[in-house]
Amino acid sequence: MNATGYAMRTDQLTVRYGSFTALSEVSVGLRAGAITGLIGPNGAGKTTLLNALSGFTDVHSGVVYLEEKDVTTLAAHRRARAGVIRGFQTVRLLERESVLDNVLLGAERLHQPSDCSQILGLPAHWKWRTVARSKAADVLELLGLSSDSHRSVDSLPFASRRLVEVARVLISAPPVVLLDEPAAGLDQRGRIELAGALVRVHEQTGLTMAVVEHDIDFVTRLCGSVIAMDSGSHVMTGTPQEVFSDARVQIAYFGRAANAHA
Amino acid sequence: MTTQIRQLPATPSMMSPPPARWPHLSTVVIVGLIAAVPLVFFGDYWMFVAAKILAFGIAAMGLQILYGRAGLMSLAQGAFMGVGAYAGYLVAQSGLGPGIQLLAVIGAASLVALIVGLPTLRLSPLRLAIVTLAFGELFNWLLINSTEWTGGSQGAPVEPLIIFGFDTSYPLDAYLVALAFAVPLTLFALNLGQTHLGRRMMAIRDSEMAAVSVGVFIPKTKIIAFVLSAVFGGIGGWLYSATTGFIAPPDFDLFASVFLLAAVVIGGSRSVAGAWMGTAFIVLLPEGFNLIGQPNLYALAGGLLLATTALLLPDGFSGVFAHIKSLITRMRAQEDRA
Ligand SMILES: Nc1ncnc2c1ncn2[C@@H]1O[C@H](COP(=O)(O)OP(=O)(O)OP(=O)(O)O)[C@@H](O)[C@H]1O
Ligand SMILES: [Mg+2]
Repeated sequence: MNATGYAMRTDQLTVRYGSFTALSEVSVGLRAGAITGLIGPNGAGKTTLLNALSGFTDVHSGVVYLEEKDVTTLAAHRRARAGVIRGFQTVRLLERESVLDNVLLGAERLHQPSDCSQILGLPAHWKWRTVARSKAADVLELLGLSSDSHRSVDSLPFASRRLVEVARVLISAPPVVLLDEPAAGLDQRGRIELAGALVRVHEQTGLTMAVVEHDIDFVTRLCGSVIAMDSGSHVMTGTPQEVFSDARVQIAYFGRAANAHA
Repeated sequence: MTTQIRQLPATPSMMSPPPARWPHLSTVVIVGLIAAVPLVFFGDYWMFVAAKILAFGIAAMGLQILYGRAGLMSLAQGAFMGVGAYAGYLVAQSGLGPGIQLLAVIGAASLVALIVGLPTLRLSPLRLAIVTLAFGELFNWLLINSTEWTGGSQGAPVEPLIIFGFDTSYPLDAYLVALAFAVPLTLFALNLGQTHLGRRMMAIRDSEMAAVSVGVFIPKTKIIAFVLSAVFGGIGGWLYSATTGFIAPPDFDLFASVFLLAAVVIGGSRSVAGAWMGTAFIVLLPEGFNLIGQPNLYALAGGLLLATTALLLPDGFSGVFAHIKSLITRMRAQEDRA
């Protein structure tokens, strides 16, 4: 951990699409080893912030820090290798491949035998394969996907497809995890269980996590702190209770202040 | 707190067959069938045909890696066969044996793939296809216009390969030599499906965003796929020229590339077995018309047959096998529950 206590943070980050400013001078941080919620109404810039953190969008000005190192211009795949692994709001899967293969794709970050020894099928490759498969089995078990592991993902219900992506993110136990609405499409029970699984991974590995989510109950259950955004700006950061009861957040969400209902 | 998420799968365990061993089995069966062709007919002519299937099949497996696995379409696989064939030919001209020739074939194919691929693999798939098309045409033009090296458009006779006493000027030997390459190369191609490298290639085919998000450096994986496919093509071309005893530019023109692409698509681009089935089909089809004494029908009926197959079987022949397999699995599961 570094002096600031943030695994990742931004400083005066601005992202523009043409003349449209999607993020405006945002300075926020993901506390190391904590789960941070990221809330805000549609179009607030939550996904854009994840894109900027993971290298999926160009930054107009400002800085992105990973462990206090400037990674603003580090390419997305290098950021992933440095330990920042993300999921997508619209799941991105290998549609006609099995759940297992989709999850194993996430093992990219695990130290691999050379491409040459993979092509030649040398013993190092088979050993790695065994290790990766057992990690995949663990994470599939954790997310309740074990019995589907040989199904093709295009035959899965929507909610399970999201979980496959979460599993792909988690398999390499990355130090920083960014999830974009992982609970969208899950029913109430599914949400509770996903929150439980994420908490358990978090307890086991102490990873740093940011989760975009609209559901107040889910965020409260999962997150130690919450970053609220609106119209590309950072509104406030606080505990879920503080944030959800704040008038500014309520106005952003509901257009008016109301009693806290978290 | 509950930590288990258990959504009821729409269709329970019957949809979860054991991991695929089957594709491997079917590949073995298909290679075995192709291998058995000469034993059944046992004539020089059919051994020659079988050797040709093996040579083309090796090139088709290469294209399957590139197109079926990595999703990159090439219209230059025929040209890469030519790169291998002419590299082997030139080395043989200076009196060097099969071992050195093989090294030259692999080296030349890799080098040319790097030269073509490095500047172009960032292009969109369609543009890449066009670049490979242009490269194939350029290569053919070079062959025709460097007569003193290549024999030009007239072609040139090729010295037979003599490996451990097997002499490819005899069809049986040509067949056995091609088989000796086809078997290990098939195993390599199958093994790719078990590797993370192979999975990276599929990710590039299906979702580059997913690939990048887990740390895949896409250009490197694309280059590996391109080089691998070129090496398979080169070896196939080298064996083809040894089998026919002659090389000429038309063997490696755009038609050859399209022919290989058709084989991969018709056989089913998603499996190694598909490349073999497609190749066997597409080589044997004209032979079939010869057999019934109607060689001229091939252009028309053959074309129609290819088009219908491509239309009716979206996943090619190997897709049909996979479908039958899943039907059997489902029936078994139902019996188990009854
Ligand atoms: N690639 C893009 N090009 C142009 N505008 C974009 C692009 N991506 C996002 N935007 C715009 O930027 C703003 C912020 O989008 P973003 O996706 O970050 O919002 P969000 O907070 O994730 O919203 P949601 O809850 O709907 O997912 C939106 O107005 C959106 O239309
Ligand atoms: Mg979003």
